[in-house]
Amino acid sequence: MSATPQDLPGQPVAEQRSGASRKAAETEAEYGHLVKSEYEHGFVTEIESDTLPPGLDESVIATISRRKGEPQWMLDWRLAAYAKWLEMPTPQWAAVHYAPIDFQAISYFSAPKKKELKSLDEVDPVLLETYEKLGIPIEEQKALAGVAVDAVFDSVSVATTFREKLAEAGVIFCSISEAVQEYPELVQKYIGSVVPPTDNFYAGLNSAVFTDGTFVYVPKHTRCPMELSTYFRINEAKTGQFERTLIVADEGSYVSYLEGCTAPQRDENQLHAAVVELIAMDNAEIKYSTVQNWYPGDEEGRGGIYNFVTKRGDCRGANSKISWTQVETGSAITWKYPSCILRGDHSVGEFYSVAVTKGRQQADTGTKMIHLGKHTRSTIVSKGISAQHGIQSYRGLVRIAGKAEGARNHTQCDSLLIGDKCAANTFPYIEVKNPTAKMEHEATTSKISDDQLFYCRSRGLSEEDAVSMIVNGFCKEVFNELPMEFAVEAQKLLSISLEGAVG
Amino acid sequence: MSAQALESDRATNAVGGVPEAGPFDAWLPASAPATGEPGWLTAARTAATERVRTQGVPTGKSEGWRYTGLRALLEQGFTPVDEPLDAMLREDLDDLLVPGLDAHRVVVVNGSFAPHLSDLDDLPKGLRIGGLRATLAEDPDALADDLARIAGDGAHVFASLNTAGMGDGVVLLADRGALVEKPVELLHLSVGMDEPKVAQPRHVIRLGDGARVTLIERWASLGDALYCNNAVLEIGLGRDAVLAHRRVQLESPSAFHLSGVYLRQGAGSRYDGINVGLGGRWARTDLVVRFAGEHAECDLSGLYLAGDKQLIDYHLDVQHGLPRCTSRENFKGIVHGKGKAVFDGLVYVAKDAQQTDAAMSNRNLLLSQGAEVDTKPRLEIYADDVKCSHGTTVGQIEPEMLFYLRSRGIPEGLARRMLCLGFAGEIINALGNEALAGYVSEAVGGRLQAAPL
Repeated sequence: MSATPQDLPGQPVAEQRSGASRKAAETEAEYGHLVKSEYEHGFVTEIESDTLPPGLDESVIATISRRKGEPQWMLDWRLAAYAKWLEMPTPQWAAVHYAPIDFQAISYFSAPKKKELKSLDEVDPVLLETYEKLGIPIEEQKALAGVAVDAVFDSVSVATTFREKLAEAGVIFCSISEAVQEYPELVQKYIGSVVPPTDNFYAGLNSAVFTDGTFVYVPKHTRCPMELSTYFRINEAKTGQFERTLIVADEGSYVSYLEGCTAPQRDENQLHAAVVELIAMDNAEIKYSTVQNWYPGDEEGRGGIYNFVTKRGDCRGANSKISWTQVETGSAITWKYPSCILRGDHSVGEFYSVAVTKGRQQADTGTKMIHLGKHTRSTIVSKGISAQHGIQSYRGLVRIAGKAEGARNHTQCDSLLIGDKCAANTFPYIEVKNPTAKMEHEATTSKISDDQLFYCRSRGLSEEDAVSMIVNGFCKEVFNELPMEFAVEAQKLLSISLEGAVG
Repeated sequence: MSAQALESDRATNAVGGVPEAGPFDAWLPASAPATGEPGWLTAARTAATERVRTQGVPTGKSEGWRYTGLRALLEQGFTPVDEPLDAMLREDLDDLLVPGLDAHRVVVVNGSFAPHLSDLDDLPKGLRIGGLRATLAEDPDALADDLARIAGDGAHVFASLNTAGMGDGVVLLADRGALVEKPVELLHLSVGMDEPKVAQPRHVIRLGDGARVTLIERWASLGDALYCNNAVLEIGLGRDAVLAHRRVQLESPSAFHLSGVYLRQGAGSRYDGINVGLGGRWARTDLVVRFAGEHAECDLSGLYLAGDKQLIDYHLDVQHGLPRCTSRENFKGIVHGKGKAVFDGLVYVAKDAQQTDAAMSNRNLLLSQGAEVDTKPRLEIYADDVKCSHGTTVGQIEPEMLFYLRSRGIPEGLARRMLCLGFAGEIINALGNEALAGYVSEAVGGRLQAAPL
């Protein structure tokens, strides 16, 4: 709550107040100021950038590839993806609405000019200041937290820490462009094997033009000595970001990966079409956590990030496990379905999600659990909070194939509605072809009840604290899955986003 | 069918402006409608024909038909039933009746009202039952507010086909305050012809304010003939009216069955519908509920048994457009052999439909390898002060339960049947009519007996 800019109630509300919505209007007048907290991380760092002019064709892709010094096979792969992408239609099925994107108006490459830094001291001080404003403690983390940060500022990695320590353990943690140069055989083997370029429209676009991202390889029987983390930040105006993340956990290994995002305030919509591929071999485990707080647009929905992401994990080996945890509070439009293909016998997929939509934010998010192997298990816990004019959909698929003996799924999706102009939808698809499968799905939609509020208030809690407490309780199941550092950040984000917005 | 699903149906199918020869052309009436038909009905037919032409055949990409393939249906080359079948005698019905069921009976043979088989002599005051054609001939505007109005234009292609090709059906009108004690039985009897025929009966059920009626709707056939039924029921409930609607679908094992129940509920009215789906090779049922007044209650439950190579599909679409209405859905299914069951339930709560109370549940028992369940319980909610939930399960018979029964000396096959019947019992017992419950229970038991459990 510290960040709430105005404490004066009664921000003018433009909508006509019909009889039926009078209650909501009153509520808005009473508490509206509390949800109107301005975007905290809205600032632009002025730094020289090496940006390609907007537009997309083969020559742009060739330029990207050349500037990154990629081998020929990578360029061929990109061009093949581009050719396929040209034939793909823009997907229309999601319950989100936006003006058609002009893919020729986007600049597909932007990199801070300074390169080849040996230490953090050489990083542009303006950049470091930006990170400080965002609260990314690169310096501190070196000494304290034991978190290696591969901070991405626009599209090229500029600072990587703890590389050596990881190298000792044999873990490869670098930007994907470096990986293409240094470990071409690994990249070539795994890239596109979970999310092929033909998978969907935005994955195709990403495959053609991805500029950077992260590559992680954990060798056999290795437990990654620290939590890996990348902070993404979109900075250059009119720059789409096309990150590509590839994480391979070889037999018997474990890795936990944290992804967090903030972006400065902009008036143009920015497209972000990332692809994340996870591969877990026998007995391996990957834990992937996301806190996403990109600029959601202003109260009328102007500006804001379009977040169209393809995330998929492949439990290739027996007894492997992939766990997705996400806290989505930002972006004008979120469209992502972190999925698990449970191929190996006894493999486990998990999906924990908290999504918040307010203002004019739209989110169509969920997961797919494809059970192919025997005795595969999956858990889905999705918590949606919708306020003001937010629209939120859970869209999930649980498919249990004929050969998935003894597969097990439990799905729970709950929605909390705050105000009468928001929406919460649930679209689960459940396909079961094996009689030994056990599958449960439950969903509820409700608001914060007056009783709950009254109880807390009668114990002397302020309205804001009470709501914060109830919402946090609502999301607790998911927060518990986050690594410690993220859990704190996520709770704070949630409080800033929603505290006091009682419906 | 939700509006959204329909949009997608159209988007994928309405290609170009000029309609080509569609696969449903054979279903459309060849000649102009009978003279004397009221103008509004002719207009509705023309519009429906137009919709059929532009919509075309739904494909697997159309949201409402994702899991329900139409190829088998289209391959049969059905043509409309041309003339009513008068050769049936009352004695022919004997084997098809529900033993011990005391009801006013109205019989429809191959889609046409058959007065000579019906038993409508002692209808109570305030209740009128007759054929659709006869009713329209008598008073062309009697049904102007209901016929083709309740189902509306948004219905899917088969409802449009029914509107375009509707011949006959049954009209049930209960006056204001009419309390009908004995249930009304609506028996659809299908008789196979030399060629595969499609019957498209259209029924209108209208209950005046405060009227109470129990309607038992049954689908049966003589022999295991190949035929298709494409029925539409339009039900209008007045203020505080109560309709208990029991639907028992026991079509022949080779039959194709399509039925749409379109419901408009007035303020404070109550609809209590139970669907039992056992028969047919391929069956699709749409239950579409719209509220026209507050404090209305709608209760939809169902039991389906999809056996070998059988497809049973229920699509529910409940739209809460007004505040303070309640809806409940409770569907249970048993699937065995290579059977396939599809359940799609949509609860839509419009903006300002505050204090909506909606709960949906769909539970399935999968009994064999090769059986498939596709379920899609959807919530779309645009109001905040609501109580909405849904739950779905798919599973097999609990080994613990089986072990318990077997430890009591009950053989495995019987134990499995007992557990299945127990699972189905919740819905069967809710039927409320002893004779009917016994009849359904026996039919379910027989089916389970025949199933290789």
